[in-house]
Amino acid sequence: MTKREHLLKIGVSGIRGVVGEFLTPALACAFAQAFGTYTGRGRVILGRDTRSSGPMLEHAVTCGLLSAGCDVVQVGVLPTPTIQMYVAATGALGGIALTASHNPPEYNALKLFNEQGQFFNHYERGELIDLFHQGEFTDAGNFELGTISQEYSTPARMHFERVLKCVNRDRIRQRNFHAAIDAVNGAGSILTPHFLEHELGCRLEAISVDPTQPFPREAEPTPQSLGDLKELMKHTGAEIGFAQDPDGDRLAVAKPDGTLLDNDEVLALVVDAVLSRMPGNVVVNLTTSSVIDEVAAWHGCKVFRSAVGEANVVERMLAHSAVIGGEGSNGGIIFPTVHYCRDSYTGMAFLLDRMAETGLGITELAARLPKFHRASTKVGFQHGRLAGIIQATEARFPEARADRTDGLKLIFPDGAWLHVRGSNTEPLMRLSVESREAERTQMLLKAGTDILGS
Amino acid sequence: MASLRISQVGVRGVVGRGGITARHVLDFGAAFATFLATEGPVVIARDPRASGLMLREGLVAALLAAGRDVIDLGIASTPVIQHTIRQRQAAGGVSISASHNAAEWNALKFFGPLGTYLTTAEADELLDIYHLRRFYAAPWNKLGRVEMDNSAIDRYLDELSEVFHFDRLRQFRVVVDCSNGTSSRILRRLNERFGFSLILINAAMDGRFAHEPSTSARVVGLQLAPLVQPLSADAGFLFDADSDRVAFATELGEPASEELILPMLSDYLLPRSEGKIVLTNLSTTSLNEEVASWHGGKVVRVPVGRNAAIDALNAHRPEQIALAGEGTGAVMMPQFRFVYDGIATMLTLLEKSAAREQPLSQLVAALPGYSMLKGEVPLNRHRIPQLLELLATSFGEVSINRQDGLRVDLPSGRWGDNAWFHVRVSQTEPFVRVITEARGAAPQDLFDEVMETTRAHA
Repeated sequence: MTKREHLLKIGVSGIRGVVGEFLTPALACAFAQAFGTYTGRGRVILGRDTRSSGPMLEHAVTCGLLSAGCDVVQVGVLPTPTIQMYVAATGALGGIALTASHNPPEYNALKLFNEQGQFFNHYERGELIDLFHQGEFTDAGNFELGTISQEYSTPARMHFERVLKCVNRDRIRQRNFHAAIDAVNGAGSILTPHFLEHELGCRLEAISVDPTQPFPREAEPTPQSLGDLKELMKHTGAEIGFAQDPDGDRLAVAKPDGTLLDNDEVLALVVDAVLSRMPGNVVVNLTTSSVIDEVAAWHGCKVFRSAVGEANVVERMLAHSAVIGGEGSNGGIIFPTVHYCRDSYTGMAFLLDRMAETGLGITELAARLPKFHRASTKVGFQHGRLAGIIQATEARFPEARADRTDGLKLIFPDGAWLHVRGSNTEPLMRLSVESREAERTQMLLKAGTDILGS
Repeated sequence: MASLRISQVGVRGVVGRGGITARHVLDFGAAFATFLATEGPVVIARDPRASGLMLREGLVAALLAAGRDVIDLGIASTPVIQHTIRQRQAAGGVSISASHNAAEWNALKFFGPLGTYLTTAEADELLDIYHLRRFYAAPWNKLGRVEMDNSAIDRYLDELSEVFHFDRLRQFRVVVDCSNGTSSRILRRLNERFGFSLILINAAMDGRFAHEPSTSARVVGLQLAPLVQPLSADAGFLFDADSDRVAFATELGEPASEELILPMLSDYLLPRSEGKIVLTNLSTTSLNEEVASWHGGKVVRVPVGRNAAIDALNAHRPEQIALAGEGTGAVMMPQFRFVYDGIATMLTLLEKSAAREQPLSQLVAALPGYSMLKGEVPLNRHRIPQLLELLATSFGEVSINRQDGLRVDLPSGRWGDNAWFHVRVSQTEPFVRVITEARGAAPQDLFDEVMETTRAHA
């Protein structure tokens, strides 16, 4: 079997691929024209992360939007959450962020937002992709063509104002936290140091904050990729460290010894902080740790589960009027008071606020969380095998309750669980397991891996 | 009229459905980047048409994706692009302008590393690459960058100031109809920097055109000519949208035929030039030959179209050429490295007026009168070879040129002096074009006869 590489993917999640022979300007332009045909004539917000292909795609997408009769508001290099919020705040018809998020630098993608600044939901995505394939785009004539304007500073100011209104800024500033940031030379390179230093009064140690330079590490913030941040923490004695992905929606958090908090722990701490001042429903994806259920139970709040993916979580959050949500699996915190999007800035502000409020360090805060043992793995596979794997897995564990919302999640009587699903974006099968005991977790992981490998 | 035309000239059409779309722009940009043989950036600029932004964005994306750096001059004329290509040692250039067409049109015109139009062979190759659709894509980390160059117009004016005696020319009081095109930006700068007193009308660059930006005596008569005398001006000049063509009215407010511009310049430049060849196409006035003969010059005629003119230029040593031009008011001169340049043409006409100490009306009056009749016949029967053969053999002993349709120069006699006709199929529309001319009165009989034969065969 030849190795399957997704050098280009045009699907319900938009268009994503390796720039060059695969993701071409003609393709990006056509997709943007389909998007503009879908939104109709009006303002569309366009921003990007710091990838080297960003400017080229910005021109191609601007061309497509203009052709569809849209007015293009270019906001330049900005975090994805900032762009999403700005779409909603300014009454635009939609927005496009040029970013392949945590994918390697050779990739880029068009992230699409509706007029609420939210990811296109399932139905919107279907309609758009149909329009794209039909190719019946609006081709505006001379005097129907839109204009281009630039708005570089307002969006970030609006974003930060919204975040800071939700925390006690003075008590954070009084603590003069010693913090560290690794912005991967991404969209947060300029804004995040400003946010931490000037808005939140931190003494800041910053690395990888040059937006003109390539990503110095793997784009996804993981224990493997954040060696430089770990060194920086140990070397400077910073109290807390933050790491973003190139488009600033994901957040990873480091302890003073340089080790990373589990992403589920980060989400749990933020959920705790939010529910302590505004109790309400919580939505997380199926593969997020049960630590969220326990933290919610402290506040007498309910947790609802959705399929994996920001759009899915947001859909459930809207349905349940959730006050907080997210995806533990990938460091996404969604706090609707700021906006329905994954936002690393909300995460940073709430964690610092919690530290200021309790007088505890990040290590101590994390230690107060109930302890779960998680493990996960991924294997390359052909999507056609998913059904067989699901059936075999269910047969292997007849005692468990099955949830089929996204792949198969088996929940055992003791609360342990096993979740197997096909990735939305890559030819990968993902397996996650969790229990309260390390041994049981290893046993479940081995059993699941055996089925995947068979 | 067809609203999209993809040909050796590039891509031209009405913007929107059925005409030029974003896809055409991206594909032509990618084809041009693939076509370019030399290293270096690509210079681009646009005229003020509203669709220019959309075309620019698509063109820039395509060039960047092919690894080409882009030097964007913003709103600037085609001649400024051509000068900048050479100054910045660029690999080529693209002008986003439908020059003399109406506002809803736009076009891409391509230039090579010397800043000249592509030759016929090069234009063919570009078209082949466009149709083949296998465009070069640079790797993701080797994409180009955009640079805005806002000083190109000033550098262009600096070059003009080295060739012309600005101190003699700035005394002229001239009304200019900018046709809401690029000349507005350039001439405003000429006033500011060099103290010219050009009075600009239709100078707004908001994408709307007060009139069709065509350099003909008819358009000069619309708004410009009536202003010349009331403003006590020495002349009125009118430019097309990308300022490579010019037309004029005399100080009396009389529109001059656009055909007169090339012979008026030959008359002035031939005595000053080492080169004695005047290069023009088969459709322009025979006044060119008569004027050339006054100064020992020689007219070389080539097929209509800019690629053919570049082919002919390449077939000569530069020092052999005095000047080259069309009957549209587009003239190129060796001192400007063979760039069709309406502003340089205007300055040369003013310089002639200063040197002869004669107003434009007297310069026009000094030329013998020629009368031209033009017609067109829709293509129906397509019996063009039979038509041309019949016309070539129906007028006895004549001089025949078959490079582009048929041009027949007739001996003096029945049809008058210096009578000729040219019959050719248009490159841009489904018509056979008929042109007849004679010295003195209009050759109506000749015109009627050629038209009748043409109608029977076209």
